[in-house]
Amino acid sequence: MLRTPVRPLLVLLVSTALIAACDKGLQPEPICASDLIGVCGTIRFRGTVPDSTDNVFVAAYAAFPQTCNELITNRQPFIPGSVSYTDSVSPYGVTLPPRTYAWVLAVWKKVGTLTLTPADTALLRVAGYYRNPADTTQPGSVIVPNGGAAANINFRVEFDSLRPATDFVSCTAQ
Amino acid sequence: MHRAIALLLVLVAPLEAAAQQGVVRGTVRNPQGAPIRGAMVGIAGSTLYAQTDPAGRYRLAPVPAGEARVRAAAIGYRPVTTVVTLSPGDSVTADFTLDPSPLELTPLDVVSTKVPQFGDHPTTSVAQVSLEEIDRRAVNTIDEAVDKEAGVQFLNGQINIRGSTGYVQGLNSRVLMLVDGVPMNQGDRGGINWDLVPVDQIERVDILKGAGSSLYGSAALGGVVNVTTRDVPVGIHERLRLTGGVYADPPHAIWEFRNEPGFQGGGDGTLSYGTETAGASISGGARHSDGYREHDTQTHWQAAAKGRWQASTKTRVDVSGAWADDHYDVPLSWCKQGQCVDLGQAYQPFKTDTGGRTSWTDSRKGYLTAHVRTVVSDRLAWQARASWFRTDFFDQRRDTSEFGISNRVGAEFRVEVHPDSTRTVLVGTEATFSDVTSDVFGNHSQSEFSAYGEVEQPVSHTTGGARLNAGARIDFLAVDGGSLSAVVSPRLGASLPVGSHGGSVRASVGRGFRAPSMAERFVDLVASEFGLRVIPNPALRPETAWSFELGARSAPFLTFLRVDGALFWTEARDLIEPTLLVATGGPVIQLQNFAEARLTGVDATLLAAPVRRLSTSLSYTYLSTERRVPGSPNAPLAYRPAHQLKLSADYALGPADVGADFRFAGRPERIELEEFVDPHRVPMNVLDLRAQWTRGPVELRLIVANALNYVYNLVPQTLAPVRTTTLTAVWSH
Repeated sequence: MLRTPVRPLLVLLVSTALIAACDKGLQPEPICASDLIGVCGTIRFRGTVPDSTDNVFVAAYAAFPQTCNELITNRQPFIPGSVSYTDSVSPYGVTLPPRTYAWVLAVWKKVGTLTLTPADTALLRVAGYYRNPADTTQPGSVIVPNGGAAANINFRVEFDSLRPATDFVSCTAQ
Repeated sequence: MHRAIALLLVLVAPLEAAAQQGVVRGTVRNPQGAPIRGAMVGIAGSTLYAQTDPAGRYRLAPVPAGEARVRAAAIGYRPVTTVVTLSPGDSVTADFTLDPSPLELTPLDVVSTKVPQFGDHPTTSVAQVSLEEIDRRAVNTIDEAVDKEAGVQFLNGQINIRGSTGYVQGLNSRVLMLVDGVPMNQGDRGGINWDLVPVDQIERVDILKGAGSSLYGSAALGGVVNVTTRDVPVGIHERLRLTGGVYADPPHAIWEFRNEPGFQGGGDGTLSYGTETAGASISGGARHSDGYREHDTQTHWQAAAKGRWQASTKTRVDVSGAWADDHYDVPLSWCKQGQCVDLGQAYQPFKTDTGGRTSWTDSRKGYLTAHVRTVVSDRLAWQARASWFRTDFFDQRRDTSEFGISNRVGAEFRVEVHPDSTRTVLVGTEATFSDVTSDVFGNHSQSEFSAYGEVEQPVSHTTGGARLNAGARIDFLAVDGGSLSAVVSPRLGASLPVGSHGGSVRASVGRGFRAPSMAERFVDLVASEFGLRVIPNPALRPETAWSFELGARSAPFLTFLRVDGALFWTEARDLIEPTLLVATGGPVIQLQNFAEARLTGVDATLLAAPVRRLSTSLSYTYLSTERRVPGSPNAPLAYRPAHQLKLSADYALGPADVGADFRFAGRPERIELEEFVDPHRVPMNVLDLRAQWTRGPVELRLIVANALNYVYNLVPQTLAPVRTTTLTAVWSH
């Protein structure tokens, strides 16, 4: 028989162990994760990947950029991630603040260091963008809801027709 | 004037009385007769103290003729005091038998005042990690042992005592590391190399929780960790340690990254020979790890040597040095979606960015120290030391490389005076010169000159043993030979015994500071994880903080319980933080004296020995932080979990012991530059299991670290270690 004061101690130790067992730590998380706030979907890749490819990333703009400066400074996320482009299709997920986005696109980046200035346009090309389902010639707007994700934002990347930013934005080509 | 003359007479008188002195020697053993190594034996209130060797032997000299109260104390044992009577020129033997006492808390304090204190009642919280604990946990580096202490948390190698440091990749520490009393923070980056001292050479680690700058100067803003290395024992001694282990696979198949298990293993050995007059030891070893994640191999080589020479009855000379060489891969961050074969996962914590797989680092570090201590009498002693600490790193990144070579040369002279058996006066001066040659920090130097003094004495003879200590240090800093700036660091502390069974209360207030490292002032690089340039800021000022503490320690109660707790409160100014700036060429990061902060909290430790052979401890730390920046709402400091809990239990089964440690830390509410990094973070729940078996000169230790294979990270995108099963065999002779 244990002395009475020992029992609270054992209860404390066992309780702590149980609390520990309840928390599972980091868990696998599919790209369209349940707690993602942003956009997710898949990108299909076509064409020949250029030798000078550094990476491909997804970016979004709340309003269509009007200048080279806006192209860089209004980009979300400001620091780009990257998407695997070695397979013909790749899932992606990007964290974005809740709001409406006028342009969600895939950007191809050439090997080189970004300076986060308009000079970056020399290294970047528009590789593809989410299109309006009703008019596929136009970009489609995407609404990131409060506390949730805009899913199935799928689009295509054409490595054989990478387009400079000046095709979309009025600014001096770098 | 009269007091000065009297003090001079007190100091000179023992010189005339040299012939009136003798030697006290003996052994310290446990009730079974086994020697206790590393026990401290001394005469309280004097300059006379010594540490026992592996045979439990000690020697005190020169002890004045007459009666002397000799005290022996060791971690995990109840201290004992005995009175010996010594005739002039005589040698007296005083053997001690110490009873195990799992309820003992820091029976002696060697870090809060630079002079060993046998009074049991430090004025600031201190903790100790004993040789026995280091052995039992079969750790590879110091941080793995210190991490188990209450109020201490390691974040990817950076130590936080009561939330002091936070985390900045690769830079600085607000805690000072000492090796045998010699500052060993890097000369360029100010950080700590926890693998600098081979763990086989460590006797004990003492941790001061709170500002220690009044004695130790820069970097002791949040605390001090003092590593005491093993003394060279008398006779021939050999020790060989072999370790082998295996890492667990990821707990989810979708995270798997290799087809074979990952292994780690190594070995080290020590050989020493000593006589009463002199001794020397050498040690060497190596270990290799495949790593617990992708691109994580590490190879470590180490060597160390130590020598002692009793030049005369009164003078002892120690020299020591160590060198370590590491080559490791650099898994800076885990793989986010698209950076590797992500299998449709938003992140792969066991994998690294494909583009970073060519990264690696070579890191070399070594030190040399020499130390002279002369006990002029039981009332007066002086010490002098010189040291040289060198670090050298080379980082290869995907498309760039970085290097840095740094030297830190230091010297210290101090005098310890005991005007009577109740008072201690310590005065000293210290100088440090550091330089760096680097392609990211430039070529620079920094000098520090300081003077310090501290007094400890009874408040009065009618206050029941209350003691007061007061001290201050002034540091003058100069960068690249420029003008000097001064920092003053005072401290005041008091302790009061409560009852006659070891209870006490304590209070202290002190100012600490940390001079910006040369790396912080002059760093100029592109941070690969953010893609942003980090620019220099030569105008950085020292960080400062006032720390207050009110603590209490109970006597044992209910026959098996004991509690120690403290309220702490730190007001910090000019904290250096990475800050995002919008410059003309685009956004950049610069380290700036950006924030003020308040850190308040409580930490408490409960020791319990509820049944025979079982010892347990429970530590809880609550931390509340408030970061204040003009123009911004107050927010918590980054990387500071509010709650930390640590449980430990050990059960002795004759020649075997089994034990467990559990560590919990809450999820940090905030991390720095959150918008640029992966937001994944969870609480920490880590359970370590251990078993130990001893037979004659052989010990076997089985450790299952992170037994639940709990997958977590403490800093962004950096996986903490998974379950690791390790078997260690030690042979000592």
